[in-house]
Amino acid sequence: MSSAGRWQRLRPALIGFRDALMLPAWVVGLGLVGVGSLARDVGYPVEVAVLSTVLVWAGPSQVLFFASIAAGAAWSAIALAIGFASLRFLPMTIALLPLLRRPGQGVGIQILMSHYVAVTAWTEALRRLPALPPEQRPTYFLGFANALILVSALCTYAGYYLAGAVPVPVAAGLLALSPIFFMTSLTVGARGFGDGLAIFLGLALSPVASWAIGGGFDLLAGGLVGGTIAFAAQRWRRRARAGA
Amino acid sequence: MTAPIAFLDGPWWPYLALLLFAVIPTEMWRWLAVAFARRLDDGSPWLEWVRLVATALLAGVVAKLMLTPPGVLAEVPLFVRLAAIAVPVATVLLTNRRVMLAVVAAEAVLIGGAWWLI
Repeated sequence: MSSAGRWQRLRPALIGFRDALMLPAWVVGLGLVGVGSLARDVGYPVEVAVLSTVLVWAGPSQVLFFASIAAGAAWSAIALAIGFASLRFLPMTIALLPLLRRPGQGVGIQILMSHYVAVTAWTEALRRLPALPPEQRPTYFLGFANALILVSALCTYAGYYLAGAVPVPVAAGLLALSPIFFMTSLTVGARGFGDGLAIFLGLALSPVASWAIGGGFDLLAGGLVGGTIAFAAQRWRRRARAGA
Repeated sequence: MTAPIAFLDGPWWPYLALLLFAVIPTEMWRWLAVAFARRLDDGSPWLEWVRLVATALLAGVVAKLMLTPPGVLAEVPLFVRLAAIAVPVATVLLTNRRVMLAVVAAEAVLIGGAWWLI
């Protein structure tokens, strides 16, 4: 292949990279600054903090990991809570893959692309990919998603060292970044009554479960109870409305 | 602080813990999705339930981090920490979902409150 041809094939990756740097990468990165601070707080090396961003690539999982270690949760409880919090990636990835699949594409490249599925990469990809010619989508997506991970990894690194170098109020602000960021994205993503109730119950049940159960299983229990009540209430409400 | 599993402990324990208890439980769902040939029905009640449990779980993480906070965050008075989760909710609802603005407003309340009070 001529070098011009190769350049043409790589162009979508550069455009994707640039599009991500326009804003989305910085929003995601900001959310992961706090992860660096949390990792430092439990005394884990900076490499583990940065690797968590590159390999886990899911803010909630990373925060659960470091915050649960700080709280002294059992390892089995940590893995279960993270597994449950990440279950959403199954339907999300299944929804995204049809946009990225190409005839003759190997399973390896699909597994690689699935790794980048996380809230921002997913919502942005669903919005942007349909406008592109199908053969350019995988390249564009990889360029876009790698820019997100690169900026986020740098932000995690910065968060780790900033936590020890800034005055106490700012260090507290860095540790609070993750919960603040989650609260923001939960509110942004809330779609109606059931979501609102799940958020409220999740917040309200957390201290109750922590007092009654503890040991790290409290988070999972609170989520299961709160989510199930919200689910039941939503179905009941829909049925009541449909009947009225 | 959760202690390392004794017989696996060593200088590389944090890496192993990350792999076993964070990378695999997160990544396995993405791999399973690739293995699924057909598309799951988006409207399935099962998925709706999973989404609501994950939402409540995440809200629980927020409450836990703010009520029994790690490190120096514990030095910030409770009402300031609670305000810092109320502010982004209000900002998002009142400003048509401005993420960056909500985060900055909440951080301003938290850092400002901490500066003033500790």
